[in-house]
Amino acid sequence: MAEMSHIERVMAAITNAKGDRLSTYPIACGVNRNLVNGGITYRDWAHNSKLFAQAFIEGQKAYGFDYAIGLMDLSVMAGDLGAGVRMDEQNTPFVDKPVVKSVEDYEKFKVPDIKKGRSGVILEGTKLFCDVLKTQVITAGFLEGPLLALTQVAGAERVFMDMFTNPSAVHKALAVMTAYDVEMVKGFAKTGCAGLCWDYLWGNYSCLGDKEYDEFEGQKKYAGDLNELTTKEGMAFCIHNCADLPHLDTQIKAFKPVIYSMAYYPLIPGSPSAKETIEQGYADNCLVGGQIDPQLFIRGSVEKITQVTKDLCHEVKTALCKRGLGSRYIIASGCEVPPDVHTKKENIKAVVDATKKYGVVDW
Amino acid sequence: MKVSQIAGFLGSGKTTAVMKIVDELMKRGHRMAIVVNDVGEINVDAKFIESHGLKAKEIAGGCICCQIAGTFSETLAKLHDSFDPEIVIVEPSGVAIPWGLKRAAEYSEAKADMIIEHAPVITLVDATRIDLLVKAVKRLVETQIREADVCFVNKVDTASAADITKTEKLIKEINPRAEISHMSSETGLGIMYACDLIETRISPRYDEAVEEELLRKQYKG
Repeated sequence: MAEMSHIERVMAAITNAKGDRLSTYPIACGVNRNLVNGGITYRDWAHNSKLFAQAFIEGQKAYGFDYAIGLMDLSVMAGDLGAGVRMDEQNTPFVDKPVVKSVEDYEKFKVPDIKKGRSGVILEGTKLFCDVLKTQVITAGFLEGPLLALTQVAGAERVFMDMFTNPSAVHKALAVMTAYDVEMVKGFAKTGCAGLCWDYLWGNYSCLGDKEYDEFEGQKKYAGDLNELTTKEGMAFCIHNCADLPHLDTQIKAFKPVIYSMAYYPLIPGSPSAKETIEQGYADNCLVGGQIDPQLFIRGSVEKITQVTKDLCHEVKTALCKRGLGSRYIIASGCEVPPDVHTKKENIKAVVDATKKYGVVDW
Repeated sequence: MKVSQIAGFLGSGKTTAVMKIVDELMKRGHRMAIVVNDVGEINVDAKFIESHGLKAKEIAGGCICCQIAGTFSETLAKLHDSFDPEIVIVEPSGVAIPWGLKRAAEYSEAKADMIIEHAPVITLVDATRIDLLVKAVKRLVETQIREADVCFVNKVDTASAADITKTEKLIKEINPRAEISHMSSETGLGIMYACDLIETRISPRYDEAVEEELLRKQYKG
């Protein structure tokens, strides 16, 4: 089969048409700031829409991915809601001062102006990289789901306890997070991105059961409404969830995303491998992606990560073949490639090269 | 450098226990550092930290594989280069996964010239709130118990005998391999034993555990 373009390849995978090979996207986002102007700080990258966009453009030039997904970090919304965000020179920013100190604080949230703060940076930056890349690859914005945004701004332990002891207060705050997300969805729709990737991190059986997840993020409200809005606004609805025990029945079978990105935890009983995910039917109607250990990009050698990619391609192709699904899998990292100065660029390239070589689908 | 995790859900008595354990280990002659989830909480004891020359660094809650890992490993590497502690006591968030933190700790080896050893993962379970914890955050508590080497039933000085028994039963059900002991971080009961564990025992590395499928074997067997 002739070599397809990036977009043809992904569309073939989504529609279960004949594709030349598996598509690939090591989730290389913040790490690509090292390709901009000889390497810039995380702070500069996360505060400047042009630099943010340039990293994705340079990443595409360097590696030839099939996708570009505009993940910044998971404290964007929390920071704009007033939480203190620690931003080291070269590390992923994170919330170090949550704002909820009492139950009453849940009711004080207000949707910020999305044109300001880092919400504005990510929207503008996404538009800028989509302007350049949308004719080459499948582009997507990246957005924190309402429960993730709330746990970031309020502190996860506190929120999980208050779900039980003060559920009405948590629901009031989630309504504001959802309203904030609605504004962001509408903002992303204007960027020209083909899809929008939601981070629904807490759909995780290590944290929440089906009943609690359904109540605080599920299909009936919050996520359900946002998923529908995403599609209505003309974007392919996608999910990233790097949980050890993801709620696949809810997030894949009920939510029905076009693309689902997931991780694999070999130590955790029940953590679904790529093979198991396909065998259990989750890739039947969804383009699933994963599950290379992100830390291999720092600690592994080119030989090691090439072997891991080769093995994953083999595992995935065998499982897909048995279910009549040709190339419906993305060879990706299970979570973001660590945006660390020690991450080895050659390992990112090795994953793409190995997928080109070993991900070819024999029709 | 030896990394010792003291896990447990919010309110389980972690901070008090960490302070007493650090104090005792320093009396035994060890150069110590601590890494806590919420530096605001530890500031209550700022004088203690200053008087002992400890280094406190915060660690964020969130996604261990991408968010925490970089910051945590960088923190450990910097502690090594600037302070070279023999033992680092880590007080993670109640939503962190102990095996994930082990992996992140090992990944600091790429950033500094050191080898990481792990002390037994200690999880504190608050016996006075066991009913609430099981109702409210059962899965999170289960995760922390499941991945512990040693579980301390904490606050035994104020918990009822029935609640202590109930807590022990829960731990045995979730993690039959775990050693169970008692602690009162307020009165100091169990602190000396926790220090002995940290000083003398080693817990498997993440890489070894993956190779040997330790947890999966445990659950199957």
